[in-house]
Amino acid sequence: MKKIMIDAVTRIEGHARVSIRLDDEGQVAGTQLHVTQVRGFEKFTEGRPYYEMPSITARICGICPVSHLLASSKACDAIMSVRIPETAALLREVLHCGQFVQSHALSFFHLSSPDLLLGFDSDPARRNVLGVLEKFPDIARDGIALRKFGQEVISGLAKERIHPSWTVPGGVNAPLQPAVREKILAGLPDAKAIVRRTLKFFKGVLDQFKEEIENFGNAPSMYAGLVDPAGKLQLYDGGIRFKDAEGKTVADHIPAHSYQNFIGEAALGDSYLKAPYFKPIGFPDGVYRVGPLGRLNVARSCGTPLADAEFAEYHQRLGKIVPSSFQFHYARLIEALYGLERMEALLNDPAALGTKVRAHAGVNSLEGVGMIEAPRGILIHHYKVNEEGAITWANLIVATGHNNLAINRSIEQVARHYVDGKHLKEGMLNRVSAVVRAYDPCFSCSTHASGQIALRIQLLGPEGTVLDELRSE
Amino acid sequence: MKKSEVRTLIVGYGNPLRSDDGFGWHASRLLADALAGQDVEVITCHQLTPELAERLSQCALAVFLDADCQGAPGEIHTRELLPEAAPPQAFTHTCTPPGLLASAEQLYGRRPRAFAITVTAQTFDIGETLSPAVAATMPKAVEQTIQLVALAHAKAPKVKRSQRSL
Repeated sequence: MKKIMIDAVTRIEGHARVSIRLDDEGQVAGTQLHVTQVRGFEKFTEGRPYYEMPSITARICGICPVSHLLASSKACDAIMSVRIPETAALLREVLHCGQFVQSHALSFFHLSSPDLLLGFDSDPARRNVLGVLEKFPDIARDGIALRKFGQEVISGLAKERIHPSWTVPGGVNAPLQPAVREKILAGLPDAKAIVRRTLKFFKGVLDQFKEEIENFGNAPSMYAGLVDPAGKLQLYDGGIRFKDAEGKTVADHIPAHSYQNFIGEAALGDSYLKAPYFKPIGFPDGVYRVGPLGRLNVARSCGTPLADAEFAEYHQRLGKIVPSSFQFHYARLIEALYGLERMEALLNDPAALGTKVRAHAGVNSLEGVGMIEAPRGILIHHYKVNEEGAITWANLIVATGHNNLAINRSIEQVARHYVDGKHLKEGMLNRVSAVVRAYDPCFSCSTHASGQIALRIQLLGPEGTVLDELRSE
Repeated sequence: MKKSEVRTLIVGYGNPLRSDDGFGWHASRLLADALAGQDVEVITCHQLTPELAERLSQCALAVFLDADCQGAPGEIHTRELLPEAAPPQAFTHTCTPPGLLASAEQLYGRRPRAFAITVTAQTFDIGETLSPAVAATMPKAVEQTIQLVALAHAKAPKVKRSQRSL
């Protein structure tokens, strides 16, 4: 038995490696994703005042701090038992749309476009964003401009692009300035044009990737995402909808506070990443996918005109349920368009310039759950506090965690299809990395459990034989 | 959101929670006050990102402020920067000033004259304050940056403004 290690998987956020076990014939016998870092926010936030949680948990991530800020703020709203002012909810959602746009731009243009534009088998030394810059400067400029626009939306509202403190328990800490509103609205036509150009480009190259589409994690799974009462895509609010692999809704409009009835959490060996599963089915068969692919599979529509036209074409081309994880890219672009349109609608609402933006209260509930859609999928912050408001327990279910089981299955499928241990080529392993990238995982966001993850230490001999093993259960 | 062209761009970067790594961060904030009202834009950030390439293409002079680890703590180093391709793995998470200059030229057809002003750090340990050596150097580093900007403004013609942002 031989083992191939892809260490580290590149062009992702955070650190992970993949092990591929080969049999004596050089064929793939098994694979595993190892998430090798631990962040531990669930544990070390214990004892902190609940109102510090948005600022503390925003530090979990430099890419999607806004998602943690919002989920945490919503959990704190629940502890305070307040309904935040209409303007505050609206502005939080605008901020969230800016986050989606910048994060999706980063994933598509900076991390994944090198595979799509330069080819999975191209020279690895040039298969990166610099290679894209050289050969496709127009697309590189579009990527930079779109991400910058999303970041400027965040900094316009919240003053800082990364780790802003504008969102607070009870709302936001300052109203929107009219000049900022006008500036964002003025930038929207160019941003929308970029996404539409990119969608046109992507649809034009889809036929080049038939083999990847068929083999990039299209094994049956369930899907999950937030929807509004009418079943439309929701990023800031809404309840969870689960659909099975055939598209049948199996659980619907699950509110934040009921998530534990439907989502269980398991630990996998050799990884710090928790593995959530659909509780009514159990572990490990209750595998589901979240994020752009999951959201567009569970939603009835997006709810904005341009995104809805793309949504209709997407399902017309690929089916009612889109199973291939390769199509995360396509779905991501549609969501970027939705984010821009939704932002426009919200900013054109007269309530956007309202001045009542924060509700004040103390501890009125000893438990609170905040749930939103982060760019990578459903994000849940669940806190318990004592009478003084100090955190006594925290549970974070991060988007990438929901996809853990699905990513592992996708890796195995891609490896079994492409990897030939006797004629190994770099492009084969790049496809294994690429299927991980399709999920746009943020591993640095997602490893917070303490005492639940089994750690295994192996002592290997020169031939790879296991000489000794230590396992913490 | 299009921005106007600016004569000078100052970029101070680093992690203010890592003691002297926050040198660029703190220096740029002082410079934003000192140069207020002048044709200068000051950007303070944790790390350099690809989006800065466009802004660099819209200015005549760029000054990067950062901590370094060469020399004795508190030593100031000023050097002119030339474009240079950054290592691929650096680009998505951490860009280099020469890499950004190369990107500005390649993508937008223009790059500024650029300088790095760096100060040798004494410590990168967790902490929100600068070490005594770096803190003592701060006024001199700020003054050198102001002089560099003044000299460039005296020599170079003003950049034509193409568009004003709100």
